[in-house]
Amino acid sequence: MKRIEVTNLTIHSSEGVIINNLSLSVSENESLTILGETGSGKSLLALAILGNLPPMLTVSGSVKVDGKEMLEMPASEAASLWGTTLVMLPQEPWRALSPLMKIKHQIAEVFRYVKRATPATASEDTHQLLAKVGLEQHAQKVPAQLSGGMAQRTAIACSAATGADIVLADEPTKGLDTARKDDIIALLKARKTKGCLLTITHDVQVAKALGGKTLVMQRGVVVESGDAEKICSQPDSAYARALINAAPENWPLREKSATTFSPLITVKNLTLTRGNQTLLEQVSLEIGAGEVVGLYGDSGSGKSSLADALLGLLPVSGEILFHQPLARHEKLKLYQDPPSAFCEEATLRTLLHDIIKLHKLSPPPLDKLALELGLSPGLLDRTATEVSGGELQRIALLRAMLLKPKFLVADEPTSRLDPITAEKVTRLLATKARAMNCTLLFISHDIHQLNNICDRVMDITSL
Amino acid sequence: MTFFAKLSTQQRTGAVILGCLALFAVAEMLLFSIDGNQQFLAQAFASPDWQAPLGRDQFGRNMFARLAGGLRISFTLSLICVVTSALLGVLAGVAAAWRGGWFDNLLNFFANTILALPGLVLILVFAAVVPGSFVMIYLAISLVIWVEYFRLVRAIALNQVASPALQSSMLMGFGKFYLFRRHIWPALKADVFSLAAFGAATSVVAMSSVGFVYVGLKPPTPELGLMIVELFPYYHEAPWLLLEPISLLFLIVLGFHLLAGKSR
Repeated sequence: MKRIEVTNLTIHSSEGVIINNLSLSVSENESLTILGETGSGKSLLALAILGNLPPMLTVSGSVKVDGKEMLEMPASEAASLWGTTLVMLPQEPWRALSPLMKIKHQIAEVFRYVKRATPATASEDTHQLLAKVGLEQHAQKVPAQLSGGMAQRTAIACSAATGADIVLADEPTKGLDTARKDDIIALLKARKTKGCLLTITHDVQVAKALGGKTLVMQRGVVVESGDAEKICSQPDSAYARALINAAPENWPLREKSATTFSPLITVKNLTLTRGNQTLLEQVSLEIGAGEVVGLYGDSGSGKSSLADALLGLLPVSGEILFHQPLARHEKLKLYQDPPSAFCEEATLRTLLHDIIKLHKLSPPPLDKLALELGLSPGLLDRTATEVSGGELQRIALLRAMLLKPKFLVADEPTSRLDPITAEKVTRLLATKARAMNCTLLFISHDIHQLNNICDRVMDITSL
Repeated sequence: MTFFAKLSTQQRTGAVILGCLALFAVAEMLLFSIDGNQQFLAQAFASPDWQAPLGRDQFGRNMFARLAGGLRISFTLSLICVVTSALLGVLAGVAAAWRGGWFDNLLNFFANTILALPGLVLILVFAAVVPGSFVMIYLAISLVIWVEYFRLVRAIALNQVASPALQSSMLMGFGKFYLFRRHIWPALKADVFSLAAFGAATSVVAMSSVGFVYVGLKPPTPELGLMIVELFPYYHEAPWLLLEPISLLFLIVLGFHLLAGKSR
């Protein structure tokens, strides 16, 4: 029996086609994964299935859930299916949970108000559900006290509590590290047996692990569809191949050079505390001049704090010794979320000119530099909010390069980019750092990514 | 004109009302410069004529000139109060957010102390110290309204100070002024503008209020609040006279409040 059936769905916005003639179907006990880069219209598809498309779009075709046409359904009727038949797992769940409520109350509310259970039953059911997703220890916490993975498990518990059997998951593993990803995938797989599952992701690993059917989308068009196993190992379309090759574990291995580096930074017995919490204790390490060093660890393990300490942004106890004195502007940082690292008021060119003026640099050929980094010079005349994350991260690199830094920290610079862009940016960073003879400390929670580009990888737990 | 284009319809209405009032106040001074304090007792309560288009009060003084004079005082006061309190509030708010620690605690303590006192009482106390002094009223009002800027600016600036954008500019060697101009001020300006418009209305009302209770400016100064009190006993004989300063006060406050609304 077909639970979701989409035929010839086309969605236009005022700027052009977003989804072009898409057809798919998901049957009972089936799992379908839609694979594609950010901005390929995947999230709109989820909204179309929910019957919740923004009104300014032009839509044609048909979207049926259990035989009912969602595109023509009045909003109130569509909403009555939410939580009873359909349920959606949002992107970045910590934004979808109430920041002020303990998570057990948030889940209990679903039992109380969606399923009309008595308070006693609701509380008991909540308890069981929390145990099932492995959160019974954390029932009393509010979302800010949870890690990304725990927040996602809470969201899954909320959706499971509804009892709705069609689950739509939008990038359920975005921003999570490997171990957390596996937990989420296991929980999602379990939901498949009770209904059906439609997952939207740009992570090939997720598609492979979930199994079932996979559909590859590029710019609103389906470029390939079929069995997950086959697509993830031997894809026919060039785009699917590119996506798979962009996953760090599939990158061609770089030959490790046997160069030895003279030390730039020596750290002895560094202890870092924040409030009452000790983040790092008695850490000693050495970083060479011109070396590309990877720093690996799970989220919340103190990687970023260690880097901030090296940049002189945090008070520390212990010794941080620079073997050659570096000026303030020779120690720079690239940020995880590029838009948050730029002033939004002025054009990027103005911001770059501010730097040139401040340091009295001989005006560098900005447009030529932009082209070297694979950016069209016209992008510089926009503001930070008007370019994509991948482009902005490259502009951040350009900005740093103007100052010829000796020590550059890249704090998970690609974790919010899609895999193809992430690979490009990662390689570019390593290449440019080596060309400038700049020490690069590359922080990531992906060990494959680090092994590929770094001269040496440090695991934060073994420091 | 770009400034006007950014305003919503509501704000434009406010700007037009205030513009007309300001035009009236300034044009009277430049074109006619009638002495609003000169008494013509024989013409008390005279109806409007060409010489005095808004009639004459109980001493036969020209209401047209007196109202324009009242507006000039109100506008001057609101302008300097807003500038002073905004400067003080923004500087203190940003400094508190930036420095943190004991400095932040000290400023917060000071701000909370002022907030704990009813604003009007504070203004009355100041006004009573040196009765009839414009400077005292100005100081008192500024002292009361800067706290609002301080609290709002501090809350917004705390986020900006912790933002990667500011940190990255700081790493690149930019000075404090640049960091403020590029990263903190853009986040503040819309709210500071709204507060300034509200603050202007508050200061106009506050000055009139101390006028009502006779601790504000002294007669024969044509201050709007004072005029209302003076004309109050004659509302039977000449209700229109009482209505004139009341309507002006109403319009000026309405204008500022409309201007304070959200821009587009």
